[in-house]
Amino acid sequence: MATSEAKPTNKIQVRRYKPEEYPEKHYLNEETGIWAWMTTVDHKKIGLMYLASLAFFFFVGGMLALVLRTELLTPARSFMDADVYNQIFTLHGAIMVFFFLVPSVPAALGNFILPLQLGCKDVAFPRVNLASFYIYVIGAVFTLIAILTGGVDTGWTFYTPYSATTGGNVMMMTLGIFILGFSSILTGVNFITTIHKLRAPGMTWNKLPLNMWALYATSIIQVLATPVLAITLLLLTMERVLSIGIFDPALGGDPVLYQHFFWFYSHPAVYIMIVPGFGVISEVISTFSRKIIFGYWAIAISSLAIAFIGFLVWGHHMFTAGQSSLANMVFSFLTFLVGIPTGIKIFNWVATMYRGSIDMKTPMLYAQIFLFQFMIGGFTGIMLGALAVDIHLHDTYYVVAHFHYVMMGGMVMAFLAGLHYWWPKMFGKMYSEKWAKFSAIIIFIGFNMTFLPQFVMGSQGMPRRYFNYIDQFQSFHQFSTIGSYIIGIGFFIMFGYLLYSFFRGEKAAANPWGSRALEWQVSSPPPLHNFEHTPVIINGPYDYHKPMSEFQLGIASKHNGHHAGEKVDISTTVKDKA
Amino acid sequence: MAQTSVDIEHKTDHIQHHFVDSDQQFESSKLGMWIFLVTEILFFGGLFAAYIVYRAWYPELYLEASTELNAFWGTVNTAVLIGSSLTVAMAIRSAQLNQIKGLIYNLYITIGLAIIFMVIKFFEYAEKLEKGIAPGAYYTYDGLEHEKANIFFSIYYMMTGLHGLHVVIGIGLMVWLVIKAKKKVFHSGYYTPVEITGLYWHLVDVIWIFLFPLLYLID
Amino acid sequence: MSGHHISSAKFLWGIGTALFILTFITVAVTWINIPDPWNVVVAIFIAVVKATIVALFFMNLWWDSQFNVMLLITSVVFFLLLVGITLLDTLYRSDPIPSF
Repeated sequence: MATSEAKPTNKIQVRRYKPEEYPEKHYLNEETGIWAWMTTVDHKKIGLMYLASLAFFFFVGGMLALVLRTELLTPARSFMDADVYNQIFTLHGAIMVFFFLVPSVPAALGNFILPLQLGCKDVAFPRVNLASFYIYVIGAVFTLIAILTGGVDTGWTFYTPYSATTGGNVMMMTLGIFILGFSSILTGVNFITTIHKLRAPGMTWNKLPLNMWALYATSIIQVLATPVLAITLLLLTMERVLSIGIFDPALGGDPVLYQHFFWFYSHPAVYIMIVPGFGVISEVISTFSRKIIFGYWAIAISSLAIAFIGFLVWGHHMFTAGQSSLANMVFSFLTFLVGIPTGIKIFNWVATMYRGSIDMKTPMLYAQIFLFQFMIGGFTGIMLGALAVDIHLHDTYYVVAHFHYVMMGGMVMAFLAGLHYWWPKMFGKMYSEKWAKFSAIIIFIGFNMTFLPQFVMGSQGMPRRYFNYIDQFQSFHQFSTIGSYIIGIGFFIMFGYLLYSFFRGEKAAANPWGSRALEWQVSSPPPLHNFEHTPVIINGPYDYHKPMSEFQLGIASKHNGHHAGEKVDISTTVKDKA
Repeated sequence: MAQTSVDIEHKTDHIQHHFVDSDQQFESSKLGMWIFLVTEILFFGGLFAAYIVYRAWYPELYLEASTELNAFWGTVNTAVLIGSSLTVAMAIRSAQLNQIKGLIYNLYITIGLAIIFMVIKFFEYAEKLEKGIAPGAYYTYDGLEHEKANIFFSIYYMMTGLHGLHVVIGIGLMVWLVIKAKKKVFHSGYYTPVEITGLYWHLVDVIWIFLFPLLYLID
Repeated sequence: MSGHHISSAKFLWGIGTALFILTFITVAVTWINIPDPWNVVVAIFIAVVKATIVALFFMNLWWDSQFNVMLLITSVVFFLLLVGITLLDTLYRSDPIPSF
């Protein structure tokens, strides 16, 4: 594959560029004003705009969850009607999945960090990047209109024939998510192209940070799976507008076909959500263990393997939906395969920490929480993949607990690890380590209080999405609800100290964690165009046994812009002038 | 066209700041377009999958229902689209050789052919809708025995309709290219939009190449 | 880089003509009645040949980077996965569409 370097002919000079500490001018204070932000094509600002939108949607989705949990305090009606309850769990699911989890790491953290880690000035198509943000906003507006004009009570999966016939504004909602899909696709296209074509000289595939491998795998899934969701939702919309009947049994269609199409996207989509989390965890664990990552290629390739196998297992969502027993068996078998690459990752992370000099900073703490909770989520997933067990557990709280352990216990923790890890780079400010750890522990306790009882309830037969339940489950539900309030408090504290850090936080050094990765070799916050020089990479991003000076190299000539006559050869001797 | 080739080689206005050189920018755009085409293929793939599933269930339905489609006009439309693919390829060639007039003429012909395609499509639709062959629940035609005939035509309308939408988008892109070409934006050193629009247009053609035998030529 | 291949006008016309001829063939084979599974096979085969010609010579994949070729193949493979695994269900159901 072509990198940005040309044929090695004459050697070029390399010198050290030490990042400027506490820079006067950076991307946040050059080009200010609301209009400059709205029309920016800078990947860092787009990433932050995504981050702000995500925070908003996470807040909305989270509040809805608390409302649901409050309603479930008592077996019968507590304070809302069953219809409202149905709408709220639908919204909680749809918002959290489509507006928070799918874009969380790729679009927000990924947008910010990807060009910095690759050593380029921007993503390949900056204007497309901005467009994808606005498409996301338009999708969000559609969804908000849907909420305000009748709501949706189908569950986030929009199963036919119910979704084709129920009242409310299903059409607006599916159109919103259809539009959102384009945003996701464009981000994927952008990332794949950038990783292929815009790597800095010397950034070969075997020196690519694992976060990049994860984002690469994610982008592949986004590109391959999202169009199928688009066509599915388009067909569903047409089902409502024109009654085309492809999915509606009343008109001769097949509702199970809808589920095939839907899960062909939505199962890979859970890997869109979790795989970038794996990337973040790889970065964090290596950085805070001060140690080269164990099994670089194993982690890199297992991301791609998960991406691929993820496309083969969608039918395990349909074991009880009436698909043929042959398909059931095949899907059940294939589902177990996902455990292999995931297990490989876990072992490699643990092996990385083994005998490392572990520095338990907040991101690392979140990474540990991730490992613990994600393992529970993963193992219960294997259990659900077993055909016979799933018949009993299907559509119970066991499933709810399982995917919350993976998505919230795994993915959200990975997101928080990434947020805390890159926060100093984003804003050039440190946060209070003490408060951050405190809130991490609160969230950890609250999370497990909320979802552990749900495993028990589920295995005893409490179905998901039910408004009422029998009295025997009340104590579990109440415990769970109290847990959810504790999570809420944890996030409230987090919001507080991050806000404080943003305005009053102590200034962050360029590389507060002592990381070797490229994004830490620029000032915090980074300059407007990321690198004033063309960075040159000679070591891997996790080579902690090599001196920092070898990680801060760039082409010596200032003339790095459009078409320097010189050719790049990275095998030159290192000249440390700085 | 008065420019000498030396001038053209050194034109760099089109290079964006984050690319090293023109080649890197061109290759990136093309790669990006190919990735986008992958999504297009899977987008239509969903419909093809629905087609295949129903055809495996009701092969006799497809035999019967496709007799309602006019194979002659289908063939004409296929020829029209292949012709437009050819002219797009010629347009790219013109751009590569710095023949801006040729580029514009070829784009005009392509737009013309695309419009002919849509006009034929319009008459096909109109003829069917008049008979009551509408998608899904609105299907009222009684010339076909099969009880699932409405499903076949739902699939037919979705596939050809979505394809038609892509043709319309293609026309829009081509008009945009003509405007740009008239402003002398393109030259042999920079013709990326022409190239990637060409890729898009060829894909639309390829999809029709599959739709045509699968819908019109089943007997 | 291989991205700037320029085809001769003659070559492009040749490809176009080949496509017209193949279109004619695909229509012509419907005039002779080929028995059931094979008519679909022939139609799809010709369509694949035509699509390959367009991809190779109009879309310049013949001269392009192999990664772009791989992308096209990947998309086809994943489409086949979608169809193939879905058929594992739909072909083997005891009752195609459950009645409600």
